[in-house]
Amino acid sequence: MRKTLISLMTVAIALAVGVLAIALTSSSPREALKYFFTGPFLNAYFFGNMITRAIPLILTGLAASIAFSASAFNLGLEGQVYFGAIAGTLLGLTMGSVPVWLTCVTIMIVSFAVGGGIAAISGYLKAKWKVNELISSLLVSYTLINIGDALLEGPFRDPRAGLAASSYMDSAIRFPRILMPSNLHAGLFLVLAIAVFVFLAIRFSRLGYEIRITGSNISFGAYAGIHVRKVVILAMAISGALAGLAGMVDVLGVHGRVIRGFSSGYGWNGIAVALIARRNPILVIPAALFFAFLTSGAEVSSFFTDMSPEIARIIQASIFYLVTAEGLLTFLKKRREATS
Amino acid sequence: MIGSFMHTTIVMMTPILLAALGGLFTDLSGMLNIGLEGMMLMSAFVSVYVANATGSLLIGVLAGVVSASLLAAIMAVFSLNLKANVFVVGLATNLMAAGMTVFLSGWLVGTRGTIVFHEAPRLSRIDVPLLGDIPVIGRMLTGYSVMDFLAIGLTVACFFVIFKTSYGYHLRSVGRDYKTAESVGISIYRHRFAAFIISGVFAGLGGAALSLPLRAFVGGMTGGRGWIALVAVVLGRGNPFGVLIASLIFGAASAVSNTLQAVTDIPPKLLLAVPFVVTLVAMIIHAVRRHDSLEQQ
Repeated sequence: MRKTLISLMTVAIALAVGVLAIALTSSSPREALKYFFTGPFLNAYFFGNMITRAIPLILTGLAASIAFSASAFNLGLEGQVYFGAIAGTLLGLTMGSVPVWLTCVTIMIVSFAVGGGIAAISGYLKAKWKVNELISSLLVSYTLINIGDALLEGPFRDPRAGLAASSYMDSAIRFPRILMPSNLHAGLFLVLAIAVFVFLAIRFSRLGYEIRITGSNISFGAYAGIHVRKVVILAMAISGALAGLAGMVDVLGVHGRVIRGFSSGYGWNGIAVALIARRNPILVIPAALFFAFLTSGAEVSSFFTDMSPEIARIIQASIFYLVTAEGLLTFLKKRREATS
Repeated sequence: MIGSFMHTTIVMMTPILLAALGGLFTDLSGMLNIGLEGMMLMSAFVSVYVANATGSLLIGVLAGVVSASLLAAIMAVFSLNLKANVFVVGLATNLMAAGMTVFLSGWLVGTRGTIVFHEAPRLSRIDVPLLGDIPVIGRMLTGYSVMDFLAIGLTVACFFVIFKTSYGYHLRSVGRDYKTAESVGISIYRHRFAAFIISGVFAGLGGAALSLPLRAFVGGMTGGRGWIALVAVVLGRGNPFGVLIASLIFGAASAVSNTLQAVTDIPPKLLLAVPFVVTLVAMIIHAVRRHDSLEQQ
């Protein structure tokens, strides 16, 4: 109850920051605010694209939730998303005369494995030599983002494309669209199913139990006979794997190819989504929808008025500030007592 | 060639070293400050923007330092007063700076791309006569800006503050064993709060050292330097001179990347990855050695 209250208050304060920023900087604040809040619901196009935005965020949100549940800070989500998608797409482009469904499944598995492998490196370094996984995962991510950019600007660039991007994969491989004219695609169902699966796995599976115990108290975990190092590596690997899949699902559903920097922000926002959801895999879904709403609202509003789309990023950062502020409730309570 | 490479190394080192010295204070107080990147970025924008608007480098640097310290103060309030997770607050700082600088540049300058500030005064290079004429290493010895000298000077100053003053002694005791420190009447809260502000001041100088020589700002221009600085803090083992050596290594890695971009056909993006690889390897070597020495005991 108290936690729900903090979450709601976090959202309310962050929105207030956004409203204030809009009011201060827009020449037509009334219009800007109207489009910010109602824009994503104006028509099927805006609405569908908002839901589409939430799809990769649900996966990166789950990715962050799992790592955090084991007390492992996976800050390399950005690179895992990007590189997972690049690896899968490049494979998809080279698999010629194979049935489409087989290609589709294979490249999703590859992106899953690549993302997982990348994150497992940091998990291994932490388990083996106590290398801070927060910094190592981030450094690996920065490295891979640069390498990925180099691949898309150089050897894998489609010379016919006007921007740094790979060639398009066979259009038959792509997920069907489910709400024309928007980008919303059938990947949504896959992602929702994964969220439910992760929820059940964390609650009821042995590994889920071990992850929760390791996360809440490492020495107790070791005392209870849990192979703590193995659990940390596994949690990081699963986290990275879901991140890699997030990139691939976005490519299969929306772009049909990898574009340089297409997934920028998916990882960071996934972390925020996981924190708002308090690491609960089911609550990740509404949290991701909320983040997608902020980005879409700002985009639609900047489309119709002079509002800056960066407002969304400022609101999202405000949420980050507030979301783990445990002292917030007591702070406000004291204020009320002091003023009354 | 060697002299010019060493020169680039030191120029590349300066922003990292400045931010790392700041991170050293939070580290000594017992906290990992992952908001350095955001503080640097904020100051990189504010310092060059204000220098451009006022025509004064000094006011520009001060404004940058204030903006970064403000972010540091917010970090301190959230993590110390409101008991928010310090890592999460650090992430918030980075995201806020990334969003805020692009927002401000769109609002104030009207563009979101690379902004060149033509009115900003030049950060002049100080050329010492004769020194530059020395063969081979001459280029290494001269032609640095005030910021480069400031970074080295502050390293020495930090060493004295940390090891030769009672403040430094108290700060280290807070980080090493806060319960004992508290029992003898040293305020954890005050030391940690102050450490955050100091880290903001230094990170602000680091950000200014990045944008002022270029007289330009581009979104995300810190490009991970705050994180590299954080690793320099870890490798420096609580000693400003250790931090200096680590920063020098990372400066050299950036200089290698820069030099190769100029003289080879290797894709520039691939070379941009070099400093991160070097930083990662350095961190792993450090951890392995510490691990081994602990096992031997």
